[in-house]
Amino acid sequence: MTVHQLRRLTPPEEALIASAESGLAEGDETRRNAIATLRRDGLPHRRIEAWHYTDLRTLVGGTQRGLIGKIIDAVLPTSEPSFLSPLLPGSTVVDLGATATPPASLPAGVAISRSGAMPDWHEVVNHLDRDVDTIRLVGAAFGATATHVSVTANTDVEHAIELRAEPLDNGDRGFAICDVGAGSKAVFVERLSAGAAGALSTGIANLAIGDGAEVLWIIDQEKGERETHLGQLNVTIGKDALFRLFVLNAGGALVRMEVHAETLGEGADIQIRGVNLLRGSQHVDVTTTLNHTVPNTTSTETFRNVVTGGHGVFQGMIKVSKGAQKTDARMACNTLLLSDDGDFSAKPELEIFADDVQCGHGATAGEINADHLFYLMSRGIPLEAARALLVKAFVREVVEEIEHEAAVEALEARIDAWLEQ
Amino acid sequence: MPAVQETIDQVRRIDVDQYKYGFETLIEMDVAPKGLDETTIRLISAKKNEPEWMLQWRLDAFERWKTMENPSWARLDYPAIDFQDIHYYAAPKSMSGPKSLDEVDPEILRTYEKLGIPLKEQEILAGVLKPQGEHVTEDDDRLPAPSGRVAVDAVFDSVSVATTFRKELEKAGVIFMPISEAIREHPDLVRQYLGTVVPVTDNFFATMNSAVFTDGSFVYVPPGVRCPMELSTYFRINERNTGQFERTLIIADKGSYVSYLEGCTAPQRDENQLHAAVVELIALDDAEIKYSTVQNWYPGDKDGKGGIYNFVTKRGDCRGRNAKISWTQVETGSAITWKYPSCILRGDNSRGEFYSIAVSNGRQQIDSGTKMIHLGKNTSSRIISKGISAGQSNNTYRGQVTANRRATNARNFTQCDSLLIGEECGAHTVPYIEAKNATAQFEHEATTSKISEDQLFYCMQRGIPEEEAVALIVNGFVRDVIQQLPMEFAVEAQKLIGISLEGSVG
Repeated sequence: MTVHQLRRLTPPEEALIASAESGLAEGDETRRNAIATLRRDGLPHRRIEAWHYTDLRTLVGGTQRGLIGKIIDAVLPTSEPSFLSPLLPGSTVVDLGATATPPASLPAGVAISRSGAMPDWHEVVNHLDRDVDTIRLVGAAFGATATHVSVTANTDVEHAIELRAEPLDNGDRGFAICDVGAGSKAVFVERLSAGAAGALSTGIANLAIGDGAEVLWIIDQEKGERETHLGQLNVTIGKDALFRLFVLNAGGALVRMEVHAETLGEGADIQIRGVNLLRGSQHVDVTTTLNHTVPNTTSTETFRNVVTGGHGVFQGMIKVSKGAQKTDARMACNTLLLSDDGDFSAKPELEIFADDVQCGHGATAGEINADHLFYLMSRGIPLEAARALLVKAFVREVVEEIEHEAAVEALEARIDAWLEQ
Repeated sequence: MPAVQETIDQVRRIDVDQYKYGFETLIEMDVAPKGLDETTIRLISAKKNEPEWMLQWRLDAFERWKTMENPSWARLDYPAIDFQDIHYYAAPKSMSGPKSLDEVDPEILRTYEKLGIPLKEQEILAGVLKPQGEHVTEDDDRLPAPSGRVAVDAVFDSVSVATTFRKELEKAGVIFMPISEAIREHPDLVRQYLGTVVPVTDNFFATMNSAVFTDGSFVYVPPGVRCPMELSTYFRINERNTGQFERTLIIADKGSYVSYLEGCTAPQRDENQLHAAVVELIALDDAEIKYSTVQNWYPGDKDGKGGIYNFVTKRGDCRGRNAKISWTQVETGSAITWKYPSCILRGDNSRGEFYSIAVSNGRQQIDSGTKMIHLGKNTSSRIISKGISAGQSNNTYRGQVTANRRATNARNFTQCDSLLIGEECGAHTVPYIEAKNATAQFEHEATTSKISEDQLFYCMQRGIPEEEAVALIVNGFVRDVIQQLPMEFAVEAQKLIGISLEGSVG
């Protein structure tokens, strides 16, 4: 009964494909295939469950026409010159751009190499149950090239490694493959700074954390007010390894940030914290899947959202495979809606196939607690100051859980800069 | 932590091979030829002596349905349904429509007796009442029988065979009759409300139902009337290769109150049978509707052979100020369940509630939940859902809570717990929480401690352990409804609600 007809592409889709084709070199078959697939499938829309709240097909056109992402009377923190210095002092900055040269000196145990390999959009693990992964596909269509960063076993990398991609006119193309050897410790910062207006960037990173290793990964997304960013972080976590992630979304017109993590060994622990700050008519979507595939693994995930305008989305999925007994997974998404000009949609999902596990999810949305406000005001703090204090406290609570002094300090500074505008 | 033994035992008692209602009634039936086309629709309409507008309504729906696709977003896996391989109308030959009880085929009466459904207009005495017929079970912990009386509309395949207590209800001004009759006798009321909550074009199965619905109940409670007794409809699928397409419409006019129960069973067969229903509830200013379901369609056997495919659209519209609609469901049957009883909270200060217990065994698949759409100011809703999966079943809670931009001070509290028994089953939760108003307060929790901390505290302070306190509170929500259910169900439902939350995975 169902006949699927080939859909006519929308003008924004055509424009995107034309933009990808313009950089296509002779003999670049991977890229040519990616463009052909993009032409065949088009961009995802709201009837595709994984993109329910982010209809790329129409939204991409919106950013191009300036319909979304206009940030009212705000000067983005990205325009500050300090943004060019690394987020964390002493970091090794690695440029992921196609023509970049690796840094002159690297910390002991860290190696960087570049390969011509393109990201494969048909990877083995397809977290969103789709045949084709949109973000990897778009990355491949624009010819993202991989930069490998490896940390040998039992190395404690003292300073952070900051990953950036040089901005191009049609967006930057970060693609990093990071391996952290068994028993090592490392901090990575993914820095997504403002580029050209109307640009569509992709930032893809694959991170493999070896047994007993510890990684703190920070995503600092402060894209420009007319930019689209499609980001994806794919992580595997070894036995007794720890993966800590902090996501800050404080910019961009249209942002989709995906995090897909999978436990490979018992004792693996995932700790995700994030803050999404929205205003104007921004559209910011954070989509995560945490796959507990082996027994005795744990995860905690907390996102705090402050919305004064625009559309915020959180889709969090916890999957517990058959046999992954004693999984303990907790997810929370709390939203402060400070204006009727904004909205927030949350879809915290659980998919459980094991009977001896603890999984929980919570989601709240509301305005500032009136009791808290009253408490502060009754002590002589004016309304505006009291509100500001409570908003700050609401987001700082999760920042402080990173347990990395320099990172807490740096991120709080970025958040304060946003809140003070 | 894993499920406790007591829970495992209780769930085992309602496992698929324990299905008690799988017998068949052998009577001569008048069956429409297989297939769905205009002729079938005209035939149904003619059998029901419908006015022309109703036939046109059906035909319009059918035209629309032909352009629609079977939805695939639910977590359900079933072979494509051949809609041309189903009989869309089946009625006992002895009757073309409901008559007085004396005229009903005794075989049908015996069927309802066996199912424990009282079709006799007798006062049910308080105290322990043994179910009629030979299906006395080992259950000794019976509930006290309902203290009041229950008016029953009995729908057998495509026709209503009897509706009890109609005279007495009429005295109170309450209209309770098969919808096929209401279309003839109260066409203005039906036309005014039919399809206003679930539009003809709402979804694939609702549109199909609009084209081919056969029977169901119609209830109208006039302003200021508190319906003097429980109303209930009992749906029975009997004939082979038939589908049942019930349509129920309940209107509670200003300041009225009605409580309504439905029960469903079907014979045990190797084939899959389709049940696609539409239920519409309308509550005007200050009115309240309580709607309870005990869904016990045949679930199929251990290997997933046979069983009812249950695709149901149920929606209530709190159309007036201070209106209240509450859904309670106990879901234990059906091979496939696709069902989301919802509330549109349109009137200011209106309130929606959804209490659900869904137990899946064998290879059953349940994708069920609710939608609370907050449109009016100061609207509130509460969702309590418990899913229990055992065997090789999959049990999904899918719920949506939306606060419209104008829904100032909307409140929602959602709690959904799931429990797995064994390693072969799955439990899933898919909530959609959409806040578009800054003053809306939404809380979605999977933890049991948040039901109502005050109530919990109250119980625990008096020495009741947390576990028992939680069960007590959940029980309290649904107790009065459950006690009104037909005996056999009440016992089961009560047990299910009492199931320990220990081992809940969230």
